[in-house]
Amino acid sequence: MKHILLDTDPGIDDSLAILLALASPEISLEGLSIVHGNCSLEQATTNALSILELANASHIPVAVGCELPLVQPSLLAPETHGNTGLGYAKLPGPRTKPQVQHGCDFLIERIMSAPGEVTLVAIGPLTNVALAIRQEPRIVQSLKELIIMGGAIRYEGNTTALAEFNTYADPHAAHIVYHAGIPTTLVPLDVTYQCVLTQGDVDRLLRLDSPLTRFIADATRFYMEFHDEYQGVQGCVINDPLALALTFAPELCDYRELPVDVDISGGVSLGKTIGDFYNYNKKPANMKVALGVRPRDFIELFLERMEKLAQRIDSIENKIGTQKNADSR
Amino acid sequence: MPPKRIIIDTDPGIDDALAFLLALASPEIKLEALTTTQGNVTLETATRNALAVLELANANDIPVVAGSVVPLVQPLRASAHVHGESGIGNSKLPTPKSKPREGHAVDYLIERVLAEPNELGIFPIGPLTNIAMAIRKEPKFAKAVKELVIMGGAVLEHGNVTPQAEFNIYVDPHAAHIVFHSGIPITLIPLDVTHKCLLEQIHIDRLLRIDSPITRFIRSAVETCFAHSESYGGKGCALHDPLTLATVIAPELLTLKELRVDVDHSGGVSMGKTFGDFLGKTGKPANMRVALQARGDDFVELFLQRMETLAKTISV
Repeated sequence: MKHILLDTDPGIDDSLAILLALASPEISLEGLSIVHGNCSLEQATTNALSILELANASHIPVAVGCELPLVQPSLLAPETHGNTGLGYAKLPGPRTKPQVQHGCDFLIERIMSAPGEVTLVAIGPLTNVALAIRQEPRIVQSLKELIIMGGAIRYEGNTTALAEFNTYADPHAAHIVYHAGIPTTLVPLDVTYQCVLTQGDVDRLLRLDSPLTRFIADATRFYMEFHDEYQGVQGCVINDPLALALTFAPELCDYRELPVDVDISGGVSLGKTIGDFYNYNKKPANMKVALGVRPRDFIELFLERMEKLAQRIDSIENKIGTQKNADSR
Repeated sequence: MPPKRIIIDTDPGIDDALAFLLALASPEIKLEALTTTQGNVTLETATRNALAVLELANANDIPVVAGSVVPLVQPLRASAHVHGESGIGNSKLPTPKSKPREGHAVDYLIERVLAEPNELGIFPIGPLTNIAMAIRKEPKFAKAVKELVIMGGAVLEHGNVTPQAEFNIYVDPHAAHIVFHSGIPITLIPLDVTHKCLLEQIHIDRLLRIDSPITRFIRSAVETCFAHSESYGGKGCALHDPLTLATVIAPELLTLKELRVDVDHSGGVSMGKTFGDFLGKTGKPANMRVALQARGDDFVELFLQRMETLAKTISV
């Protein structure tokens, strides 16, 4: 069983990644660290706790990390994720609270307590991960693997003409993380933009009438309107769950070892991720980059797991309901 | 007036060590702690030197906490050619008996500052990595720090590590950018004024009339600094870091100007350059007070008097 920490800014597709982690028996989700990004840190924290409650998984710790990017001014994405960060979905306010410990300290403690065991999946701006590396450099050796959703290698940007959102939101943090020496897999827009969740896919999920499927439908409806309006995509791209899926199904993608850098010089290319395909700079590869994907295999896997998770939650809810009825008798 | 309570964030460093001694010799100041960072030397050497200098001055009750090993984004850069292999010139202080406190300087700074909001001033005299990390890690930190008095930058003066950039800022320009725009009240002590405060051989000869470990230490510490400045036709050793303390013990020696100051971190030839918006071209408000003039000779005299007093109390 793989031990997974998820650094996240939920966020519509982040919430789908959290649900996929909970639905996957191959991995154990050990905690979430929250970062600014798709929405404010406070909103992202509320969303993370609410999603865990929706999935009966409130035992999973949530630690609050960084509110602002390292050097750049704050950049949030309400036009993509809605004002609450979860599109049209309305989850009840969470009853649980986040950890007292800072998100960076949480990552450091969990990684250092199980050297060589932990896979960190980072699906927001890399501020928490960068700050954790600078505060405790030994996590670089202790991490088993880092999987990053971010960047656009041979693909257009989704935030500027050249840059992808997570990397653009904190390019300096990305620079720190890319060059830290952690075994890293990058999951850029090159592959995530092939993974489109269609209305047909959502309709299939809705055949199960459940709070979980309704949440996915409400959250992604906003996302679909955004993708249609701005990018002409029918359906919506679900970036983050793909990165999570690679922890247990790496065969979904094809990879290439590459030296990858990020532009932090502040010109029009700020936040652009650059792959040195011909090794002009004579530097060794610093990561494995996913450049090919089998998108329908991934979407099918995602849908099946969401169906199973919805059924599992409903059966637990029913049991609790039956128990409550029995108690009240 | 009660003494001003300060924490010095430091990378000792020859002039850093002189700043500790001046703080300890000044009744207007209560030195509460030293937090260390890479810069003039590696973090390990900086921490060792901080402890050793405190022991030299019988002040090892003051806590020392180790901080950042590398700058935020830029690669590590140490300057042994200026500060000698040990970091404090040719001085050979004994290995310190005391140890740094457990924990990271960033967390220590956050904890101390939040425990007593608007009470503690921080005097960063090395690269600003620790301060920047504390600001980003704890958003309440910036509002709770009373003030920062920073040795760094070259506003109208030429640089000392590139033609334009001063060492502390150049080592971690991204950290400087974070700190400059944090909203904390800042006083900047740039090369413009520190280059006016030169310790020369004649001053060392005067100090050596007192036989004390303190005067002998100062002599051996500044030897490499003298040699370095002679190598480019300069004279003496600039009291960069001690001059930050003039803001407390002799503010009349400094002329301060409210100014909008930014730092170039775009990676070109001006990397690490600090520049002031003297004509208000940006339309943005001042973010710090910058010392642009100093009565250097008067400061050196004050420094010497304080060292003489300290040396007389510590003689072996």
